[in-house]
Amino acid sequence: MVVARDIDPGIDSDLMMMWLADARLPTGAHTQSAGLEAALNAGLAVARIPDYIDARLATVVAVEAGAAVVARRYACAETAAPASLAGRLTNVETAWRVRTMSPALRETSALLGRGYLRLLGRLWPESTAVQALSMVARPGRAVVLGVAAACCGLSAGRLARIIGYDDAQTIAAAALKLCPLDPVDVSRWSIIAAPAIASMADRVTDLSDPADIPAAAAPLIEQWAQVHATTAQRLFRG
Amino acid sequence: MAEMTELAGPLAPVRSLRLGVAGPVGTGKSSLIALICRGLSSELRLGVITNDIYTDEDARFLRSAGVLEPERIRAVETGACPHTAIRDDVTANLMAVEDLERDFAPLDVVLVESGGDNLTATFSPALVDAQIFVLDVAGGGDVARKGGPGIARADLLVVNKTDLAPYVGVDVDLMVADGRAARGGRPVLALSRLDESSVDSLLDWVRQILAGFRAGTHVAVDPGPMAPHSHADHAGSEIPHTHPHR
Repeated sequence: MVVARDIDPGIDSDLMMMWLADARLPTGAHTQSAGLEAALNAGLAVARIPDYIDARLATVVAVEAGAAVVARRYACAETAAPASLAGRLTNVETAWRVRTMSPALRETSALLGRGYLRLLGRLWPESTAVQALSMVARPGRAVVLGVAAACCGLSAGRLARIIGYDDAQTIAAAALKLCPLDPVDVSRWSIIAAPAIASMADRVTDLSDPADIPAAAAPLIEQWAQVHATTAQRLFRG
Repeated sequence: MAEMTELAGPLAPVRSLRLGVAGPVGTGKSSLIALICRGLSSELRLGVITNDIYTDEDARFLRSAGVLEPERIRAVETGACPHTAIRDDVTANLMAVEDLERDFAPLDVVLVESGGDNLTATFSPALVDAQIFVLDVAGGGDVARKGGPGIARADLLVVNKTDLAPYVGVDVDLMVADGRAARGGRPVLALSRLDESSVDSLLDWVRQILAGFRAGTHVAVDPGPMAPHSHADHAGSEIPHTHPHR
């Protein structure tokens, strides 16, 4: 029998950071390649995958992390009712959507957001922020992760780092399945990407206004995502 | 309110019996699902989720088989992790099942086909209420004896393609006996799509599981640790609970 024990609100934030970044978290994220499969199909050379990681950190990941940081700030602030917080989270969601041109990318994000929201709803059902999130129509991963960080007691800087690290690791793990590579070489990529992850995080950590979320599009990534959405033979959903 | 459903966990407005079909690649999981659809679609409202490893081939096969409306058959990509998608992280499959239940409400049974994996891949009770594990004679007469969680404890073990036994030198009776020995009395079915009485036995088993599910008496015999789940009552609403399993 599974006995549910209460989650200690003062839990060690280092541990919660590792928990939220863990690929074994049941959110459906293992179905994703962060666009790598589509990029390889479009001709991206395997040797340039580290550059692909950097390009994402400078563009789509910065947009996502920026939106997540603002959502976290709202979720951490004292609010009277879930409904008013829901309105503010919707504003963040809208700000992220207008910076994400590809419907396929938005759809993928909504799918992942739903997976994380399912997890949050089961683990923190009493949280005002989680209840507010349930009133936002199909929230994307950025906004949901912002609320997750609030539930986990994570700082904005840690949240942004998780998003950058997760993107790099998603690409690395997918690369091993898509290309003939040595896993040790691939694990090096995420370490090599660390300075870019940290600088991306520093770029967005202090954001508090949806209008200030970076608007850095990556047209090729968006185009590849559109092509991938109708590709019949694929290992990864996105 | 759909959003609150999300928070409440894996509960759809109308909850179907979720029936998993697992087993190694090529043992006939898709064909078995086609048999169930062909045999029961006139009496039950069915839906199908497939988990292909590298195509939507299984979904296409089932759609082209004409046994169910194509819209009721949906494919889930598993990121090359068919094992994970039915056991450790069922999120993608659960969302697909819930969407199907919502879009075609009310459904009686949703069949979830795992991407063919190895003998250790079994469904989580968070995803399905009952599961069928499929072997076939062409995969080798000794496979049932090798055992594994699916062979030992799935709700039903199917030894498929018995019509091929003479061509591959397998003794079906012995293979079924091996299966029974590994299962402590749980059912084993020797199946061939060419043997109508075996197909009827399969359909009867599904009807019987569905009746038990609706009566609230069905208990998932999960080959692993039990997770919180729920059974439908007579009106089709939910009775969430947990209880100990062996």
